[in-house]
Amino acid sequence: MNAAPSSAAIALKSLACSAGDRTLLAIDELVVAEGERVAIVGHNGAGKTTLLRLLSGFMPPAQGTAEVLGRALEEPLPAAELRLLRQEVGQVLQGLHLVARLSALENVLIGSLGRVTGWRSWTRCYPPPEVASAETSLHAVGLLAHARTRADRLSGGEKQKVAIARLLMQRPRLILADEPTAALDPSAAAEVCHLLVKAARQATLITVVHNPALLPLLAERVIGLRHGQIAFDLPLARVSDQELGDLYRPDGGTEHRLWQAPSSTPSAIRSVAFR
Amino acid sequence: MTVLAPPPRLGDHFGGRLGFLGLALAYALLVAACVVSLLAENELSLGRNPLANLVKTAGEFARPSFVDVWFGNPQLEYRSDDGNLLRVENRQEVERNHLAALAEATWTTIRIATLGSLLGAILALPLAVLTARNLSAPRPLAWLAKGLLDVTRSIHTLVFGLVLVGIVGLGPTAGILAIALHSLGSYGKLFAESIETLDMAAINAVRSVGAGPVQVFFNAIWPAVLPQFVSSHLYIWEFNIRDSTILGIIGAGGLGLLISEATSLFQWGRLSTVLLVVFLLVTTFDALSRRIRKALL
Repeated sequence: MNAAPSSAAIALKSLACSAGDRTLLAIDELVVAEGERVAIVGHNGAGKTTLLRLLSGFMPPAQGTAEVLGRALEEPLPAAELRLLRQEVGQVLQGLHLVARLSALENVLIGSLGRVTGWRSWTRCYPPPEVASAETSLHAVGLLAHARTRADRLSGGEKQKVAIARLLMQRPRLILADEPTAALDPSAAAEVCHLLVKAARQATLITVVHNPALLPLLAERVIGLRHGQIAFDLPLARVSDQELGDLYRPDGGTEHRLWQAPSSTPSAIRSVAFR
Repeated sequence: MTVLAPPPRLGDHFGGRLGFLGLALAYALLVAACVVSLLAENELSLGRNPLANLVKTAGEFARPSFVDVWFGNPQLEYRSDDGNLLRVENRQEVERNHLAALAEATWTTIRIATLGSLLGAILALPLAVLTARNLSAPRPLAWLAKGLLDVTRSIHTLVFGLVLVGIVGLGPTAGILAIALHSLGSYGKLFAESIETLDMAAINAVRSVGAGPVQVFFNAIWPAVLPQFVSSHLYIWEFNIRDSTILGIIGAGGLGLLISEATSLFQWGRLSTVLLVVFLLVTTFDALSRRIRKALL
């Protein structure tokens, strides 16, 4: 946490993001060192997705400084610079965003578009070493048998695994995952989490998580967001059900709550946080 | 974009069982009015001798003219009423010549439909891009394009053909342009729809690995849109093959010319041959295009 800025994957300072006159995100300071595994938790609209969009260069900051992998994001980056940044930032998104009509293998090969240029990337005639490495990636997620299957014929879990294989192919230094297990059943969710951590072995991993049960799989540090601000920033071991419960408690405090805060049963909180 | 209130739908006023009964009653009244008024004007007659005419026509239809290529009289003699020999005709040769003309007309019809469809598709592409809602082109331009598409779709190919024959003269050019202009509207609508179903999230996912605009186009947009474009093209092309068989009637070339010739001379055997060719052409092309479109999905 007190790593020098040079080795920080992410460094944000007095940062604000807004849409119209609404402030979506206001962070005093946030530093994530390279190689860290960070989970972001918070209620809907707390600014989790905004934070990820900011870090991947899809949304410029309104004020303050943001540094991602040593690149400053203060102003809207020139297109070429932005593309270089995105090559190093891998994303796994909430929906299962594959190109439906391409095969699983071709979807994985999209991860190499940062390296492959010119006619080969236009005609999808990738160089043989890249194809071999894409097959290795598919093998790593256990889907080599489905290499020629079209993406829209795969199940939800398989699609997310293909997205992770694409990530392996991209070899990013920073991985941003936005609720990567939202569309999956519990066993597939755990499997995808394992694969994601494996894929991030040489990278920094930032995951938005809604399901506290998955926190131990994905993170060693947990950041709670509430109304666009950091509510807590703790190592995983010190995150208790109390903090999570506070985070997801609706605004009105005690009088207008949707659920009764259970006093002693952590599992009950867990099931609430599940939603 | 401002959100317009949905226009009141017909169903809102005519819902329920009572509404349906009312609609059915209105429909029955309309049908009755049509029948009664035609009867009153004495326009619902079947002619003087319908049954005999039907038998005669059907008989000639049952013997298509191409049969004469093999079974025609090679020495058909035409004589005047007092028995003088006027001329001798080789029926086999005459029908052989007619078949050759038929083949050429068929080829012309195929050419008209093919070039007309292609021209229509090319002209429709920019209009579809303008009208696709997810691309949000400037409003006035979008309206203009949509208006143009609606107008061309509502004007029949034959009307376009008649006007164009007056402009570019008789022949296939008028047919090609008529087909292109009329199918423009259908193309534009289908193309715009396939652009609207583009998965923007998948496009963003490809952008997120750092792909440039050209790479995004070839890896995310092209594979999603191309099969649908080709499928729409085949569908309308198939439709135009049917449509262009009639264009010759107004002098725009192709099979229609032979149809109008045969009907004007009451040569039902000839007409039967021409219609047989039309039938074969249309069903072959239908089957081909359906198979290709299925493979593309």
